[in-house]
Amino acid sequence: MKRLLPLLAISVMFAADTPKKAPANEPLVPPGVEVDEHTLEVLKRILAVGPYEVPDLQLRRDTAYAKTPVDYEPYGKIKPYKEHFLEQMQYWGPGRAIPEPEDVRTVKIGFIGPIMSTVSVATGGASHEESMGIKMLQGARLAIEEANARGGYLRRKIPFELVVTNDNGLWGSSGNEIVNFAYKDHVWAILGTIDSANSHIAIRVALKAEVVVMNTGDTDPTYIETNIPWTMRCIGDDRQMGYLMVDYMIRKMDYKRIAIIRSSNRYGRFGVREIKDSARRLGRPVVIEMAYQLGKDDYSLQIDRIAEVRPDVIVHWGDAREAAIILRQLRERGMTQPFLTSDRAVSKEFLKLAGPYADGVIAGYPWNPDSNNPRLAEFRERFRKRFNDEPDTYAAHAYDGMNMLIWAIQVAGLNRARIRDILATRVKPWPGVTGDIPFSAVLDDAGEVYLAKFEGGRWRYYSREDLQIPRGYIPPRERTARGLMNPAETR
Amino acid sequence: MKPFAACLLFITLGSALAAEPGAEKLPYVYTKWKQFTVKDGLPDDHIFAVKSDGDRIWVGTENGLALIDKKTAKVVKVWTEKDGLPWRAVTGIDVDPKTGDVWLALFGGGLARLSGGRFDHWHQLNSGLVNDVVYGVAVENDNVWAATTAGASRYNTVTGEWTIFTEKNAPMEEIWNYGVHYRDGKVHLAVWGSGVLEYDVKENRWKDYLDPDGEMEIDLYRDDGIIHVITTGANYVDGVLWVSSYFGACRYDGRNWRGYYNMDSGLPSDFNNNLRARSGREAWFASDKGLGAIMDAETNTWVAYTRDPKSDSGKAVVMRDKTVLETVEMGLNLPHNFIIAVDVDDRDVFVGTAKGLAWGIGEGYYSGLRERPRMLAATRRDVK
Repeated sequence: MKRLLPLLAISVMFAADTPKKAPANEPLVPPGVEVDEHTLEVLKRILAVGPYEVPDLQLRRDTAYAKTPVDYEPYGKIKPYKEHFLEQMQYWGPGRAIPEPEDVRTVKIGFIGPIMSTVSVATGGASHEESMGIKMLQGARLAIEEANARGGYLRRKIPFELVVTNDNGLWGSSGNEIVNFAYKDHVWAILGTIDSANSHIAIRVALKAEVVVMNTGDTDPTYIETNIPWTMRCIGDDRQMGYLMVDYMIRKMDYKRIAIIRSSNRYGRFGVREIKDSARRLGRPVVIEMAYQLGKDDYSLQIDRIAEVRPDVIVHWGDAREAAIILRQLRERGMTQPFLTSDRAVSKEFLKLAGPYADGVIAGYPWNPDSNNPRLAEFRERFRKRFNDEPDTYAAHAYDGMNMLIWAIQVAGLNRARIRDILATRVKPWPGVTGDIPFSAVLDDAGEVYLAKFEGGRWRYYSREDLQIPRGYIPPRERTARGLMNPAETR
Repeated sequence: MKPFAACLLFITLGSALAAEPGAEKLPYVYTKWKQFTVKDGLPDDHIFAVKSDGDRIWVGTENGLALIDKKTAKVVKVWTEKDGLPWRAVTGIDVDPKTGDVWLALFGGGLARLSGGRFDHWHQLNSGLVNDVVYGVAVENDNVWAATTAGASRYNTVTGEWTIFTEKNAPMEEIWNYGVHYRDGKVHLAVWGSGVLEYDVKENRWKDYLDPDGEMEIDLYRDDGIIHVITTGANYVDGVLWVSSYFGACRYDGRNWRGYYNMDSGLPSDFNNNLRARSGREAWFASDKGLGAIMDAETNTWVAYTRDPKSDSGKAVVMRDKTVLETVEMGLNLPHNFIIAVDVDDRDVFVGTAKGLAWGIGEGYYSGLRERPRMLAATRRDVK
């Protein structure tokens, strides 16, 4: 894949600037960068250590991984020998002591996303994620441009630069791109990508090269289940959306026979995993799961099989196009069961292809685009003005993720390990346009997720509380510290 | 001396030794260390790979390859991109025992061979190498295996034939290969998300080792199988498979599995970048908080080596399960506690850290446990 020319978002004010070394008596954090006492203390600690020491950063500790209700826990009747992901990973290497370089003219941040059409590994034909990737790029670019309008990297008064590359998806090319970011472009952090197989490749490379990867578009739960201290994500994942959908289907609606139809790629395979497991653990195992190859037009084989088992509800996990075609084919043969699907259906493409059948469709959704958040309204306005289009999920989360990276760079300075530390130890939720983003111990977005329902000609977004969806009991203590089968903790 | 009298004397002496306070069965502890950094001629302090090769030590760094002569303990040659090294970051090294060729895994640069002073280079665009991000390399007879981020590749150096192994033709649930090792007719791939895959060269057959509980967030039982599907290294020695991961470590003797965590062993951390096994009873783990060596698998006896972050000193802690048997303070041992690579020969150990290389000199090394008095703390201060 030919690398794209770096896309500079530099206003005219920077054109004549030369790199400036920070004066010795400058404040810890440049004026204008919001920082609370906790982050300031973290900064002092990480600035104080040499290459052989690791500061005490008061690592997060969760008591329940991913806020998992006790009745959704795997092997719930057995106390496991070990629980992972409860304690935050620390970076134990020497990177914090690397001095900020002097010969820097722009502060580069890498962007990797599916922005150009290519051959898809999943379909064997045309790729299918460009519409999402382009929105993601727009959100990231807007954040960069706005940061530069505020003065760029404030310590040096030099601009941020977005180094953009396409996520080709073939033969693990995302790994090569991360290597280029780390060793050729010398980026300070990376944002991307959407396809989970490519995301996994990217973070393994970033781990070795020691650079932060902020994910804003991959909802695969296993993305952060890797113990990589350099990996973080600012979008709700399929585990959280799956829990909410199962709570809705079983705890609220009391559906007894759940059928699944999903894409055969990694997105579909891992997307439904928590739904299947949670339904089984509630005593309502999924009655059928049918996989399909992407890009097909006829799903009658899968639908025939599903019809045979007479489901109460049908869950789809895949892209917008397939969601719409399958929905249409279900309805056209008289199957009227409720249709739940993944968040990718919340798109213009789905509505166009599904037509009138879209009415009543429910999708898990990682945020609430209808919220009264003034930051969101202002973002929308600026986005429309800049791109003459509406921002979507991918644009909004990329905007948030890029702003988090920019903030961390402003606070930490040009040092990859310190940038990681500042983001990883942030206590206050990030005030994003997509809502407040609190990190879990594994640096995943632990914020609320929603159900999107298409009704009255538009998508409406409902929280758990809005729909009064019951949830299982989330115990305050980790499993290895709990008694077995304590009735108070299993109800 | 009459046989009976000799036997009596032996028993008496033996009893006296056994009764000596502080004498018990303990593992060998490395107290003599050398360190190598950029100041000593390495091209970079960030060590990704190390390989002991007779009188030579090959060192792969984030920015070049180095050769150390064991006899003189000097860095005798360095290769960077300016010197023809095809790519700066060297993440794996193996040496062909028949030809002496040095094979290099290049992190984003493909595969290289140093032979006769010349580098040959294979990458995605000129060969059957499946991806240029190569984490590990292993020589198997006439074949060279490369563990890449998008599958494994096998190159036959005689016929020039390449074979690619992915989910299409091997039991890889995921294709993200991390480590590769060959010994005794078996190739082992440590695959991120797919446990360990074993390839029997003679039988041309694959076997997979997966976490039996199938869950990412827990290990249900410690000894029920491989501890996690995310693995970083696998070594097969004496019919024993050793595995490292970011979630602990484990050992399989062909019949029983045993898991190791920081909470129940001398493993310094559950985050392990790699490992090297010396035998079926002894293996060395490259963790992010120090170097952990299980010296006697049968008794779960470990030695954990760490550097004091505030001084040029280090220590070794001997543990059985989680009980400390002995603490040996010494001069500087490891240049840094973040360990990335490790190799051993019959006597010595070579440790690649994020800030330099350590060479542990095993004078008087013995395998397993031996009855010896405990070493007094701070009595051994062998410094470079």
